[in-house]
Amino acid sequence: MKMFRKQFGNLSRVSTHLSRNVLAARVAYRDVEMSTNAAPAEDVTSPPAVNEFRTGVTNPGDHSDVQVGKFYTIPLEEKKQIFSGGGLTKKYEQQIKTFTEACIMVRSPALELLHYIKNADLSKPVVRYVLYGDNGVGKTLSMAHVLHYGALNDFLLVHVPWAPNWMKRPKESANSATQEGFIDLPFDAAAWLIHFKTQNSKLLERLQLKTSKEYVWSKRESTPAGASLIELVEHGIARIKYASETTAALISELKQLATAGQCKIMVAIDGYNAFFHPVTRIFSDNKQRVTPDRITLTQPFLDITNYDWTNGVCILSVDKIAMTEGYMDSYLPRYLLGKEGFEHLDPFVPVHVGNYTEKEFVSYINYYLDRNWITKTQPGFEEQLKFMSNMNPYTLMQLVRSL
Amino acid sequence: MTTNLVRLLECNIRNSKATVAQRTMRVFSSQQEQSSVEDDEEFRVLNLRTIKQQARRRVIKKDAVPPPRTTHMPVDQDWSAVWSGPRSFHPASVPLPLRQGYTERGAAAPSKYANAELMKIPNFLHLTPPAIRQQCEAIKKFCTPWPKGLESEATWKAIFPVEVITTDYCHSLPTIRHPEARRVTITLNLVDLKFDAHAKDKFLRLVGERYNQETGVLTFTADRCPTRKQNYDYALYLLTACYHESFVTEPWEASKSEADMEVYLFERNKAKLSAEAILNWNVNGEKQAPSATYAESVEKLINEGENEYNIAKYKEEVLKMLKIAN
Repeated sequence: MKMFRKQFGNLSRVSTHLSRNVLAARVAYRDVEMSTNAAPAEDVTSPPAVNEFRTGVTNPGDHSDVQVGKFYTIPLEEKKQIFSGGGLTKKYEQQIKTFTEACIMVRSPALELLHYIKNADLSKPVVRYVLYGDNGVGKTLSMAHVLHYGALNDFLLVHVPWAPNWMKRPKESANSATQEGFIDLPFDAAAWLIHFKTQNSKLLERLQLKTSKEYVWSKRESTPAGASLIELVEHGIARIKYASETTAALISELKQLATAGQCKIMVAIDGYNAFFHPVTRIFSDNKQRVTPDRITLTQPFLDITNYDWTNGVCILSVDKIAMTEGYMDSYLPRYLLGKEGFEHLDPFVPVHVGNYTEKEFVSYINYYLDRNWITKTQPGFEEQLKFMSNMNPYTLMQLVRSL
Repeated sequence: MTTNLVRLLECNIRNSKATVAQRTMRVFSSQQEQSSVEDDEEFRVLNLRTIKQQARRRVIKKDAVPPPRTTHMPVDQDWSAVWSGPRSFHPASVPLPLRQGYTERGAAAPSKYANAELMKIPNFLHLTPPAIRQQCEAIKKFCTPWPKGLESEATWKAIFPVEVITTDYCHSLPTIRHPEARRVTITLNLVDLKFDAHAKDKFLRLVGERYNQETGVLTFTADRCPTRKQNYDYALYLLTACYHESFVTEPWEASKSEADMEVYLFERNKAKLSAEAILNWNVNGEKQAPSATYAESVEKLINEGENEYNIAKYKEEVLKMLKIAN
């Protein structure tokens, strides 16, 4: 088996060497393109080379164990629709820009989730899936893979790209007008509404979802019952002051609509444990740090991760980095969620995301070679990289920067 | 003396005739002249600082060092007579070519003579096997035969679960009492006591740190009374009192809240409510209860702490309970 793989690896390297000459001209052309900041659409439209580390199956719904360890390409417009407001890590975005293609490896945690979601009974209360794993193993990208599936399969996406942003570096905080002692994050709420709108505008138009009751924002402003959800969202975006309340209204509406069977919802929150962190970096009027539950934006997202509605799935990730110093001892979900968070989510399905397997590692190295990202290939460099990175995806990405 | 004499002479002069006085004066002066003539013969030294004459230091006569004892030792001597008790190393008494210590590289280690390294370390030259055998023989007459039926450790531990530890001190002082000798420690395994769930929890709270969680051993130490007997009685009293008190349920124990719980119990927690609510979603009539295995997996996850195994077990149970295709 090992022999076979080695031969296979050699073969692939020969093929990459061969194609490199052909690619050289293209690379030069691409460099010019990038410097002029032109859209790399041409590369995507040109049929991608068929390698043993790529798969032509671009629909995540069709992925199965056959595709494990292979890369599939997210079409540019879909990427723009789903991930323009975040959802891929910053470093990965840079890599996508450099490689001029949005490739994600098909990995077993995402496949496991897809398997659960495809076979889920949506008439039952929503099931919470919790992705957990050490730093840089690909929790966010596994979630991105599932999000892509959701977007293609008529799920309304309720996606928070990185929840700790609200607790750690909010754009602005203001006292809530409606709830005494609570803090509004108007800009962040509006940004989230925009993100929601870009992800779901097509589907919202198609589904024609209506609000169930009248929302009165002020003396003159109100959203009547029976208004479309797009109107509600757009009001929140236009009147940033009410963005937090709009978010809460939107999410409660979505829950009702989903339970009524008018739509199905995929909730995806990255860094979910930030909602249960003991403190935030936001200060109240009396110069005291507020707890996450005193932020108006927290409540709707805690509400939608509760089990009291149907026709949806919740994919949450718990992350060490979402916590702050002193709360980062373990990556296991019970520790990161704390007592309160665990009780809120229980019973949930923990899904472990781990380091690369042997196959995935070889596949990734081949991908880097194909993209000419690794150019110095001394004999045995794979072994060296394997030991240095411990097959951790993020560490590997950092290591090959200089090769 | 001279002044007194002069004064006496002056009195005489006033009383008697001047001639007599003159004669006596002459006699006195002629004596003085004579002594000065004697001094002239040796040259006098002006001694400004009086130097004390130093006494000659007495030279201590040492006996010649005899050759080491080891040279006369017969091969079959009684070693325990030579080295009868613990004592620092002495080179002339130990017929062994010992060497010890650090030197330059390549050189031999210093020999046993005048070797501080050998004297610093404790030695066991008094505890040679023959010496031990000899001492055991000597104290044998004080021993009684080992009781029948207590041959193995398991048997006597089962019959006598309580172990009493005391220490006797032997020392040479005007008093033979040692303050530490009154200390009594009794130990026993917790498994040897019969409890129910409530009593065990209460007992462990009562004994506090006297119970070692890792070994399961309970230790009572008493040293507050002046004699050993009293301390022994007190330690046994503590054990008895704690044991019987743990079976008493006080009225205020009913108000035990979740924060006071020593373990996580599925029955008392929100986990049960959530699981029931999910299982009985839109179900009228017969209610379904979460399975015992699920409850156990949650309890294990919380009580034993998280690890990959417990998480995997929990996941398996959740998938089974929620009927998610695996």
